[in-house]
Amino acid sequence: MESFEEIEHTADRAFRVTGHDMAELLQNGARAMQALDGPPPAGEPSATQAIQVEGVDRESLLVNWLNEILYLEQVHRVVCDRVHIDELQNHRLRARVETRHCSRNSTHIKAVTFHNLQIREIPQGLEAEVVLDV
Amino acid sequence: MCSVLVETALLGKAHIERVAEHVWEIPKTFRADMRVPARLYADEDLLETALSDNSLVQLVNTATLPGVIRHAIAMPDIHQGYGFPIGGVVATRLPGGVISPGGVGYDINCGVRLLVSLVSAEEIAPHLEDIASRLYANCPSGVGSHGHLHLNDAELNHVLHEGAHWMLDKGYASREDLDHTEEFGRIPGADAAFVSDRARERGCNQLGTLGAGNHFIEVDRIAEVYDQATAARLGIFSGNVAVQIHCGSRGLGHQICEDYVSRFQKTARDYAIELPDRELVCAPFDSKEGQEYFHAMACAANFAFANRQLLAHLIRQSFDEVLTGKITNFELSQVYDIAHNMAKIEEHDVGGRSVRVCVHRKGATRAFGPGSSVLPSDLRDLGQPVLIPGSMGTASYVLIGTTEAMRQTFGSTCHGAGRVMSRAKAKKVVRGSTLRDQLKSRGILICARSMSGLAEEAPQAYKDVSRVVEVVHSLGIGRKIARLEPLAVIKG
Repeated sequence: MESFEEIEHTADRAFRVTGHDMAELLQNGARAMQALDGPPPAGEPSATQAIQVEGVDRESLLVNWLNEILYLEQVHRVVCDRVHIDELQNHRLRARVETRHCSRNSTHIKAVTFHNLQIREIPQGLEAEVVLDV
Repeated sequence: MCSVLVETALLGKAHIERVAEHVWEIPKTFRADMRVPARLYADEDLLETALSDNSLVQLVNTATLPGVIRHAIAMPDIHQGYGFPIGGVVATRLPGGVISPGGVGYDINCGVRLLVSLVSAEEIAPHLEDIASRLYANCPSGVGSHGHLHLNDAELNHVLHEGAHWMLDKGYASREDLDHTEEFGRIPGADAAFVSDRARERGCNQLGTLGAGNHFIEVDRIAEVYDQATAARLGIFSGNVAVQIHCGSRGLGHQICEDYVSRFQKTARDYAIELPDRELVCAPFDSKEGQEYFHAMACAANFAFANRQLLAHLIRQSFDEVLTGKITNFELSQVYDIAHNMAKIEEHDVGGRSVRVCVHRKGATRAFGPGSSVLPSDLRDLGQPVLIPGSMGTASYVLIGTTEAMRQTFGSTCHGAGRVMSRAKAKKVVRGSTLRDQLKSRGILICARSMSGLAEEAPQAYKDVSRVVEVVHSLGIGRKIARLEPLAVIKG
């Protein structure tokens, strides 16, 4: 099974993502968002960025995590490549993201929404549908 | 291959009652959590289109918000959004009613500004390519693009509190510009203390930038005037050049919405507010949390007014650079500037009594009728100008607000054409470069950073704006004044 697929949305963009567990769902969510954004511009390897996010539940953790990546890409003008999850406990996440510097903004996504967001248990693990504002 | 979103409820034509010509209602009995009925203003075809995606379910969801009054309303350009449908109008009664950050959306005070000149389209035709190039160079586009103005902390505070008025002090605005802007370019209640450092960081270098998605600057020809007397009062004459600006509060507004939608996930629970969609999270308007969001939202709204004002200045500068010494009378005066993503505190007549309400307009335009005290003195007897941009390459309209809109829709009308095709599908069926060439063969110049972004905004991805405008005109919730046709589009 593919770890993510795009979903039809009239005005914005949306994807369905799966993972064996929450850590993989977070990693695959970041990959899905970047895949929908199109091929990233070329950039020089940069630093590894440490990220800490938390949520009131696992849905808000997923949204806050993806929004954190958007923030890095838009404000620090980087492309986020590989993601390493260091710690995930009680809706708190510590992770590292390998980044590349870009001369221009690499994303056209404005924000990650909570629209109808629900992380569901499925036989393979977890599944969520995420709507992005573009 | 795209699949479709999981439906949150089944809603079909059988659940919808015809109330009057072009007025449809989903009764309160449709779902147990509805507090008021939901109303759609549309003709038969636009109703069918609305039923083709999840937008009417989203409309029903907004009818569950605490304090919602009379009806949850959708305009004929309704389409699926997140939380609210785009084209939604929801008023909550104060005190007690809620304010919802997701009901305003991420692009707080996204809106449209219209400038007009006394020069004819024929006169500028030989210079149109140069004008488009200058506009593209002078008005940066893209989600994270940076402008020419870099604000320090104190200057950013001034913009957040004073909106377009700060531009007057800097020489980027005229008094007439401010008079012809919704809220006179400065919404009350702004307090930068409730704007996060991250929002400030995203906004400090984005003033005077267009953004991305469906944002644009468009040079138009005034193709047809329906009401000569009203149009003349607005400076609108057939055959002349006009310019539209469509953009909002950029990264600053996105971050403010994100901050408060995230924070209100807990707040809604604290107030025991049960909602069918987490994007609708809200707080009582008069609560500490509701007030803090309102103060921050007002800051983003002021940033957007300032942003469109600076873009207007850059457009005037571009016209100067190209046309000075070649032709005369090309000065651009402002018809009006409207917001179409905002929550506003207004007084409306409900059941014969004046009621204070928080009106959420998400992809809907304020359309106050003649006599409104919030209009500038030179427009008060006419009503508020309403600006309805079409999709790229199609017509746009100037309307005027009406007494009927005050009666039926909390002084609101439609905001555009409304999408009908997903961005993913548009990119599959339309090639950006082909579209650009097709539009060029029709005499429409396109400047765009990305051909795939251009394909997403193809005219066939939208409803027919003329049909949408005919519905609001026939209902009397907006009166047609003029139609504009595009000459050059600078795509965000």
